[in-house]
Amino acid sequence: MLIIGERLSVVSKKVREAIIKKDKKPIHEIAIEQWKAGAHMIEANIGPAEDEGEGVMEWMVTTIQEVVPLPVSLDTTNSKAMEAGLKVHNNQWGKPLINSTSLDPERFVMFELAAKYSVPIIALTVGKGGLPRDAEERVDIAAQLIEKAAEFGVSLEDVYLDPLVLQISTSQEQAKEVLRAIKLFQQLNDPPMKTIVGLSNISNGCPKHLRPILNKYFFALLMYEGLNAAIANPAEIIEVVKTISIINGKTLYAHSYLEI
Amino acid sequence: MAITGIEIFKLLPKTNCKKCGFPTCLAFAMKVAQGQADIEQCPEASEEVKAKLKEAATPPIRGFVFGSKNIKIKIGEETVLFRHEKKFFNPTVLALEIKDTESNIDGFINEVLESSIERVGQILKVDAIFLKNESENSEIFNQVLDKIINKAFDLPLILGISKPEVAAKALEKLKESRPILSGATPENINEMSEIAKKYNVPLIISDKGIEKVLKLVEIARSVGVQDLVIDTQPNSAKELLMDNTLIRRAALKKGIRLLGYPIITFANRDDNFYETVIASLAILKYSSIVVLSSIPKWKNLVLFTLKQNIYSDPQVPMQVKQDIYKVGEPDENSPIIVTTNFALTYFLVKGEIENSKVPAWLAIMDCDGLSVLTAWAAGKFSASKIAQFIKESGIEEKLNHKELIIPGYVAMLKGAVEDKLPGWKVIVGTKEASGIPAFLRNYVRSKK
Amino acid sequence: MNFSIPKETYTGRIPEIVFGKEKKAYFGGESALPFHFFEGEFIYKPLIAFEIQDDIPEDYPEELAKVYSSVWDSPIKWAKFCETLGAEAIALRLMSTHPDSKDSKPEEAADKVKKILSEIDLPLIILGSNHSEKDAEVLPVVSDASRGYNCIIGKAQEGNYKTITASAMAGGHSLIAMSELDVNLAKQLNILITQMDFPREKIIIDPMCSALGYGFEYTYSVMERIRIAGQIQGDNMLCVPMVADVGFYVWKTKESQASESDIPEWGSLHERAVMWEAVTACSFLLSGAELLIMRHPEAINTVKRFIGDLFS
Repeated sequence: MLIIGERLSVVSKKVREAIIKKDKKPIHEIAIEQWKAGAHMIEANIGPAEDEGEGVMEWMVTTIQEVVPLPVSLDTTNSKAMEAGLKVHNNQWGKPLINSTSLDPERFVMFELAAKYSVPIIALTVGKGGLPRDAEERVDIAAQLIEKAAEFGVSLEDVYLDPLVLQISTSQEQAKEVLRAIKLFQQLNDPPMKTIVGLSNISNGCPKHLRPILNKYFFALLMYEGLNAAIANPAEIIEVVKTISIINGKTLYAHSYLEI
Repeated sequence: MAITGIEIFKLLPKTNCKKCGFPTCLAFAMKVAQGQADIEQCPEASEEVKAKLKEAATPPIRGFVFGSKNIKIKIGEETVLFRHEKKFFNPTVLALEIKDTESNIDGFINEVLESSIERVGQILKVDAIFLKNESENSEIFNQVLDKIINKAFDLPLILGISKPEVAAKALEKLKESRPILSGATPENINEMSEIAKKYNVPLIISDKGIEKVLKLVEIARSVGVQDLVIDTQPNSAKELLMDNTLIRRAALKKGIRLLGYPIITFANRDDNFYETVIASLAILKYSSIVVLSSIPKWKNLVLFTLKQNIYSDPQVPMQVKQDIYKVGEPDENSPIIVTTNFALTYFLVKGEIENSKVPAWLAIMDCDGLSVLTAWAAGKFSASKIAQFIKESGIEEKLNHKELIIPGYVAMLKGAVEDKLPGWKVIVGTKEASGIPAFLRNYVRSKK
Repeated sequence: MNFSIPKETYTGRIPEIVFGKEKKAYFGGESALPFHFFEGEFIYKPLIAFEIQDDIPEDYPEELAKVYSSVWDSPIKWAKFCETLGAEAIALRLMSTHPDSKDSKPEEAADKVKKILSEIDLPLIILGSNHSEKDAEVLPVVSDASRGYNCIIGKAQEGNYKTITASAMAGGHSLIAMSELDVNLAKQLNILITQMDFPREKIIIDPMCSALGYGFEYTYSVMERIRIAGQIQGDNMLCVPMVADVGFYVWKTKESQASESDIPEWGSLHERAVMWEAVTACSFLLSGAELLIMRHPEAINTVKRFIGDLFS
């Protein structure tokens, strides 16, 4: 399970302010906390970043990699900012991940960047025509994304299909569709396609105390269906990762399995 | 090798006509890939896609039956690289090589016929004769063949012949059985394939290394021979391990049909110890046929036991028959131990009793092959069942004491067993078999 | 058709074990499954240690007595004799400490060990008698007595690992961790040992050997599973070398002792007994043992030839 720490996002007030003031300390703290909690990668979510996007992304990537020996997942719709981040990224601990592209032609430039820099990319199964209604629609879009990736010269092993997790408070029936989509996505290719989710989306808009509960149980079910990667709060999910890995037979059981 | 949804989808008309009962071609393709729909449901499906699906459903490694009229042996059709993933199915065939120039053919035939022994309820023996046309002469070969047919008509045969004419003449004599024809090489592959096809016998294909063998396999297949056996002529243990591993991996993991066949190993070495080791390597690592140059009884015992062990089902415990066994020469004074019929338990306990040099009665109770603790937890090794077993066995008449030793792990049954076996005293034995020798020696001493 | 070798992807390399002071011996360090030279590196050949005991053995059958009865009254004589047979390492089993045997004291065992270390410079493996409670008393004292000699101490089990691990650590030794034919227990024991800060790189797993015909396939499959978990499934705790303690189990079997006149269908005793040990050992090399502890010199020679052939 590839765990990508989600907490360095402009959604958080603390992070927004740190970016504006160019205050490294909060960024360092949160990056290190996530690393210690078990993250394999740190997400830098700078949002659309229309102003000074390139500078912001460069600052975020370098600041993060000053203190943790991990690759960074770059989350922005600004393609120039994306490229700036890819250029400045230190690859010694792994390649950066492009978050994201989709079937919306305006996002195809991200496929170009993935091919140019030879890095993995998240592909959301959504197009220009609105949100997908069920697992089958997601699979349909996924099949087209696979073709597009091949067109741009991106290796299929570098593509992470994201079925677009929607909030349960407003789209409850979509939770099941996401689970079915994860399973079906893998069958589109051999070796199986990789899959990823933005986990916390499931509990968006829910009371604070409910969020970890919804996140954890949804994550357990996603793991059972074969999910490869997740953008989430590592501290929240690490126990689930280890336990489901045992139940799924991927890791050998030992009584002290949670301690290692 | 399973075919994926996308691969099937690419071969469909993509019209979304819905005649298959599904909304889109992609949806239908996904269902077919999962085995939840039949390609026949699509009236527009091409022959190409149907053929591809049939291919995907064929076993990755070919299996076939050979032998004599009454003895049929199946080899091949293996599905895993490691026995713990499921099981190894069709045990390695052991064959004795006899050259047609030997003077003592009868002696060799007898050795093969007398090779069988019984172990854990199975008969293990040398399975076949590999008759080698060392003379390269058809008459001599057929004379020896006649001897074998007369003396041991039921013995499965592998014919080691390099000249196609000799092969044809020999096979004329063996129309009632299905021997394997060995000796196809780059020089004679076409003729040998034709002969194998004509007489419907499996063909052993031999060349140096996997790449060269692949070419020969292609030719044999194009002639229409389906039952093939591969020999890559490894000349070291290193090559043997590598070739066999790569062949099985290629067949199972990469779906390479041209390597999806059983393997034969010629284990003959200058030194009998070393030949035994090479034969063992071949048995453990994927060979379906192993040819030996000699079969002394000690060597057979080693190889039979290894074969039996490695081809056992990891899910099913081996069991021995319920009985009161004599270990050494026990008499009416000797101790009696009761335990379960799991083969390992039986062997370990029996072995330690022998090591103690104290003759004893070993009462083995049928518990479906479970070990002591597992059998107890499953209710099969209970006080009442133990009592019933002892009563019905009639052992009481053979003893002048009434003391029963039970395994240490079921010490808690002592009272209950004594209740159900009136007049008997229960002694709690050791938990581990290794403690038996000391235990028995003390026990016997205390009785004096 | 061009055949491209289907290679496995590996997550882990087995650590190397070096032991011994004056003379050293090495094993481990492979980066692929046993002898898969086509997809990995194998820096050391598997190592065979000759077994000796600290007192005259009580259960060595005739075929072993023939070889060792003239030297087995003195461990030093015995070790030197093994050296003449080509031994690269000695495994000393303190059988006399077993309560059912002489129940000799830890200090007596330690004295013997000290004497051996002063007279023999071959690398030494020191084994208890396999009696869990007694080993917990004996092995710490022996670890201490051999401090600085860089030995291998065995065996730590779930019931007694704490004192044995601590003393092996203090003595600077490597450690054999034994569990009973169970992958999960093997993993758990290694977790417990490393939680005491004992380095994973100095642990050797003993999955509990079984002789051919007496549970052989259980050991074989447990070992294969351990190797796959450790080298392919990224399970760090199981990515360590393994030992097959072959002689101890093989020479208890009927097949290594019954004469041909007793059981004619089993054939000649000498070849049968030697091969029982050799084939058991060779098989466990294939399932992942980097260290073998063996008894009969002819079996050892056959296994050495096999190793040479595998490395050719």
